[in-house]
Amino acid sequence: MKQVVLFFILFTDILFSDTLESLLKEYEITSENSLKTVDEKLGNVFIYSQKDIRLMQYNTLDDILKELPVGILNKNRFGFFTLSLTGSKTSSGFFRFFIDDHEISSAYTQSASQSWGDLPLDFIDHIEIYYGESSFALGNATGMYFVRIYTKSAVKENGGELKSVLFANGSSSHSIVHSQSFENGWSYLFFLNKNRLKDKTEYNNEILENSKDRKYFYVDVSNENTNINIGYTDLKKDAYMGLSFDVIPDSSQIKSNDFFVNITKYLLDDKSIKIAFSMDVENREYEEENVQGIGLIPVLDLANMGTTTPKYFSEDLKFTKTNAYVAKSIKYKNNNIITAFNITNKKYKVKNRKTINFLNQTNKLTEYNNFNEEMVYSLLLQDDYKVNNNLLLIANAKVDKYKRESYIKDSIESLFRLGVIYTPYENFGLKVFYTETYLPPSFYNVDFVDKRSPNLKSQKYKYYSIEGVYTTNKSKFGIIYHNVKIDDFMYLTPVGFTNIDHAIKTQGIMFNYEYQFSQKNKINLNYFITKLNDITTSPTGGGYIKFVGEHNKLGYFSSLIYKNFYKYDGEEVKNSFDLSLGVTYSFTKDFSCSIKGENLLDKSTKSLYTKGFSKTDFPLNNNDRRVLFSMKWVF
Amino acid sequence: MKFFICIFTIITSLFSSQYTFLLEKYDKEIELEAKILFDIAKSSIKKDIKLFIPKITNIEKKVYSKYFILAKECKTSNFIFINKTIHNDKSCNKLNKLFFTNNYKKLLSDSKYYGAFFWCKGRPNIVFIKSRLEKKSIELPNNYNQYIENF
Repeated sequence: MKQVVLFFILFTDILFSDTLESLLKEYEITSENSLKTVDEKLGNVFIYSQKDIRLMQYNTLDDILKELPVGILNKNRFGFFTLSLTGSKTSSGFFRFFIDDHEISSAYTQSASQSWGDLPLDFIDHIEIYYGESSFALGNATGMYFVRIYTKSAVKENGGELKSVLFANGSSSHSIVHSQSFENGWSYLFFLNKNRLKDKTEYNNEILENSKDRKYFYVDVSNENTNINIGYTDLKKDAYMGLSFDVIPDSSQIKSNDFFVNITKYLLDDKSIKIAFSMDVENREYEEENVQGIGLIPVLDLANMGTTTPKYFSEDLKFTKTNAYVAKSIKYKNNNIITAFNITNKKYKVKNRKTINFLNQTNKLTEYNNFNEEMVYSLLLQDDYKVNNNLLLIANAKVDKYKRESYIKDSIESLFRLGVIYTPYENFGLKVFYTETYLPPSFYNVDFVDKRSPNLKSQKYKYYSIEGVYTTNKSKFGIIYHNVKIDDFMYLTPVGFTNIDHAIKTQGIMFNYEYQFSQKNKINLNYFITKLNDITTSPTGGGYIKFVGEHNKLGYFSSLIYKNFYKYDGEEVKNSFDLSLGVTYSFTKDFSCSIKGENLLDKSTKSLYTKGFSKTDFPLNNNDRRVLFSMKWVF
Repeated sequence: MKFFICIFTIITSLFSSQYTFLLEKYDKEIELEAKILFDIAKSSIKKDIKLFIPKITNIEKKVYSKYFILAKECKTSNFIFINKTIHNDKSCNKLNKLFFTNNYKKLLSDSKYYGAFFWCKGRPNIVFIKSRLEKKSIELPNNYNQYIENF
């Protein structure tokens, strides 16, 4: 018997012996799976690895967001894609976006779409999407879901990359990434992108212009204990529908730029103290002219529309957000405790704002209200307790104190979460979270408040989720059930934001399946369905099927994203089927070309829009069919 | 029967690629780094390898100890892997030891290193400097020839 065992061990040793070359290849593949930063304790997680981004040809952040289950990517009146809760078109604050450790949502709207929605992924290593409260993890503003965007490591890239994407409709995007690591342990990664994305939609035989000119700049300077990140984005575009009553503005322009610097430092040998400081400066300029009138809610007086309705509107706004964070982690027996303190200051300054009404009277406006600064002091505590190798208990608590010195009152808000991760078998696990949290009103909500009830309250969320995962050697099957109750839900009516007077309840279930044919080829299936106790204004269900792989020098993918039909005020918005296909051919290790077709069936998702004060909304396509060709050279 | 079930389990686990929940810190990359370094060290030194990694982390200790005897200090080791920033550690500059780094620039500028395992253009690379191999009388196997550079 011993001889048999020895023979078997020798046989398997020969069979699975690793040459240096195969080990290096496996190391590269493993690194591309991007699992190093996953934190299961933060919620239910979806990972878009470096390999997925490369083979699926995800060029911008929106390419990923449009297939996300639970969220629905709607195009707003200004032509920006905003992620909304399934079934609704309300967007601000639910989804938080982070580039590395830095939250990039706007200080004005709490949404990242205007500045960062088209973010090119050429300098992005991988993306993690968590269905869970972000502020427990990173100390800052609350949100139900969060998207963590990890930039490429300068040490791993250690070289340059040029990429050009050319679209059949004349759009283009050009990027350069360069990184280097030095002998002293410091390294840098630099990214620059310039793009022009052409987009227009026909409405009532007129053209709604939505073309954008953008520039992105990002630099990361790091060593083992310090990360310094600087980001900048610049945008110039037409306002699409803008605020025009007739949906077609005579002329319009949006200009914005957003800058941030974030410094993170880890102290002590075990890096158990983390301190971070960041500052964001955001400038937003808006101009619109429309002889049919502009629906600028803050200045409209419904009893006196003739003199208060503008035909011209312009504004120049500046927002600053300063954040300081300190955290200490402690390991004690089976406990892993993190305690942190965070201070955030947001300022809102009107540099210029004016309207011209139909009597040609110019009104120079300042602030719409006195809500122009907010201080938030936060204290948070997390403990995860490992009962045994199969069972992990998680508890989070956070207290936020808001100082506003405005008619929106100061407040103290608290949130907490309890979680259990149970893996009775290596291939089967359960994850359960219960969370109580809130979303405070933003400067934008207060500016555009319904004047009949100007005291906006924080939205209060109670939700729980149950996730089950079963794996075999090649497949992974997961189910997630979620149940959400929202009190004081805030939504935009034709006359401004208001807290809805009844609780919004939604529940849904999601199925995920992945099968790996080999290390290089896999298929992913997703289906989700949700139920909402209110009027639906976007799809309530959907899913996707994706096949991705590579063989020798050829990479390929196909994906079909489905969102279901829904009815709104008698208007039926049909099912959407977004079919994309693409191939990448690597001529050498350093040079590759790709071609991709998107929305090939021309059955795009649609967003709903309101015309004037009409109670009936109308749908318009979110995307056109498009074909793009890209070239990448690594040096 | 139990024996065959056991063997089947071992074989299937070797091919297993899916994970359920990643509750422990993901260490497969460190595991492969350790395997690669072990391959390099055993091809360079014919006797028992005693590895020293300055400022070694707990997870590195856990993973590298599966392949190496870990030395607590430089003087008791014969193979040193510098994968972090170390400032002027003169106590570790003994001639009878092999120094390996994860930084290509360090390899070029400091002759005590005979090779480096590093990333370049988003891909992992290994480089040995021929003159330094000769100076230390290291004969690497033939399958290493592609990694040897003649500066």
